Amino acid sequence: MTCLETIDLCHRYATGEAILHDVSLAVPRGSVYGFLGPNGAGKTTTLRLVLGLIRKQRGAITIFGRSLDTHRVEILKRVGSLIESPSLYEHLTAQENLALLQRIHRVPKARIDALLERVGLAGTRGKRAGQFSLGMKQRLGIAAAMLHRPDLLILDEPTNGLDPNGIIEMRGLLVALNREEGTTILVSSHLLAEIERFVTHVGIVHRGRLLFQGTLDALRRERKSEVPVALRTADDRRALRVLADAGVDACADEHGIVMPAMPPPRIAAINRQLVEQSIDVHAIGAGGGDLESIFMDLLGSRAA
Amino acid sequence: MSSLFFDAFCCEWLKRRRSLGAWLVLAGALFTPTIIVVARLIRHAQLPALYAAPEFWTSLWRSSWESMAIFFVPMAAILATSLVVQIEVRNNAWKQVHALPLEPATIFFAKFAVIVLMLAQFFVLFDVGIYLSALLPSLLVVGVPYPPAPLPLRAFLADTAIYFIDCLPIVAAQYAMSLRFNHFLAPIGIGFMAWVGALAALSWQHANLVPYAYTMLDYIKDNPAARAIAPASGMHAFAIGWFVVFTAAGYVSFATKPHKG
Repeated sequence: MTCLETIDLCHRYATGEAILHDVSLAVPRGSVYGFLGPNGAGKTTTLRLVLGLIRKQRGAITIFGRSLDTHRVEILKRVGSLIESPSLYEHLTAQENLALLQRIHRVPKARIDALLERVGLAGTRGKRAGQFSLGMKQRLGIAAAMLHRPDLLILDEPTNGLDPNGIIEMRGLLVALNREEGTTILVSSHLLAEIERFVTHVGIVHRGRLLFQGTLDALRRERKSEVPVALRTADDRRALRVLADAGVDACADEHGIVMPAMPPPRIAAINRQLVEQSIDVHAIGAGGGDLESIFMDLLGSRAA
Repeated sequence: MSSLFFDAFCCEWLKRRRSLGAWLVLAGALFTPTIIVVARLIRHAQLPALYAAPEFWTSLWRSSWESMAIFFVPMAAILATSLVVQIEVRNNAWKQVHALPLEPATIFFAKFAVIVLMLAQFFVLFDVGIYLSALLPSLLVVGVPYPPAPLPLRAFLADTAIYFIDCLPIVAAQYAMSLRFNHFLAPIGIGFMAWVGALAALSWQHANLVPYAYTMLDYIKDNPAARAIAPASGMHAFAIGWFVVFTAAGYVSFATKPHKG
């Protein structure tokens, strides 16, 4: 069941420059959806459109099965968000910043202290937000987004400004939120490595186009069939001749020989042929199969 | 008033705590009374005669309002309005405000109500300040009695209410501009120019059409020494009219803004 869906979302700047081209996201309910793409890919614009912060030009947005156009307030009651930098009133304390939202969302006051405790800011509730470090501000921003126990949490680059320890804590917090409260989380990032450990689904956007959408396993499976095979031998020149005789379109580069993508039984057969010709094989296998390589390869190949 | 609007209003009221706008209201309202107290303490020898005069309160009232009506009230309305809106801009918080489950009208009018209430607070503080500026010298200087003349409280409150109405067009215009322009200097610059323009227009026969001129016109209308002949007819109706027009324009501009935060 889909929690958030966009259909053919398009957006242009006033100058006419297109930012989004037919972006159709489908965020399953209960998922942690990683919205990935390099800086300037259109992630923040998409998230702003989803929250109604930018006037929609074309396409449709549905959240909890209802159109954002007609049920905006009703939808936003169940959505928490953190877009880019946290929106904190620096002259107010951490507790006061949350009290503002507590009134609007009508949650018990006790929730403020519980949440400050949960994000590790219990000892600073009376400190002004302006005196916070970037990491503390980010954590307070997340607390503000979580205050009313939203069914959908939209976080735009939430680990910005966090140190490695803070990133791990944030990850743990989001995973716990997803598992314990069933919150659907849509989190954007430009670093796959940062979110691959906790997302269940990914959407990859580049230059305003959605290049891939699905589970992490589906991404791995899809890209595996397209990944070239790398070969290193004791004698690459002879190996190239053997491969040419076998009808394999291989070429050599500074790291060894590169062959086109092929199924595992074919790789095994080539290995046997090389060994039978007394060519020592040092390494053979699909290169760049890790997610980061898949991500970079996807951006390079499909967006070209 | 719906309970959600009340909650949004309380939320906006909390935002102004410790803000520059809140301090400006306090400092602006008490500035003239403080100057009066200091001046009177310096010239304390003249105080017994001054305090004994039957027109003591009226004279104090007029001298206090001179700088207020001409300068401080328009400036406070211009600055306080812009500063309150700037709280959102400076803290990059508009995006959070617009992502709350509130209608644009609730957001717009809750903040506007806070600004208008701050302005009312400014006038009340000023009135209290005037009273204190009369009381303190009598307490601090030996031989200066509490003014025996009766305090025309009702007339003073009526005057205050009139001045409050007079500055509503300024507040509404500044609010509309502050919501439209993100840069702090744009609404303040335009407001300042409008105030200078209103000063220049005081002697114009149609000065009662100028939205930034009403506090000044109200002050000079009973002053025979004033250089301007204030066309007082329908002035407060015009003030309310401008207030409604600017508020409506501000709301339309706010609600139809393509980028919210």
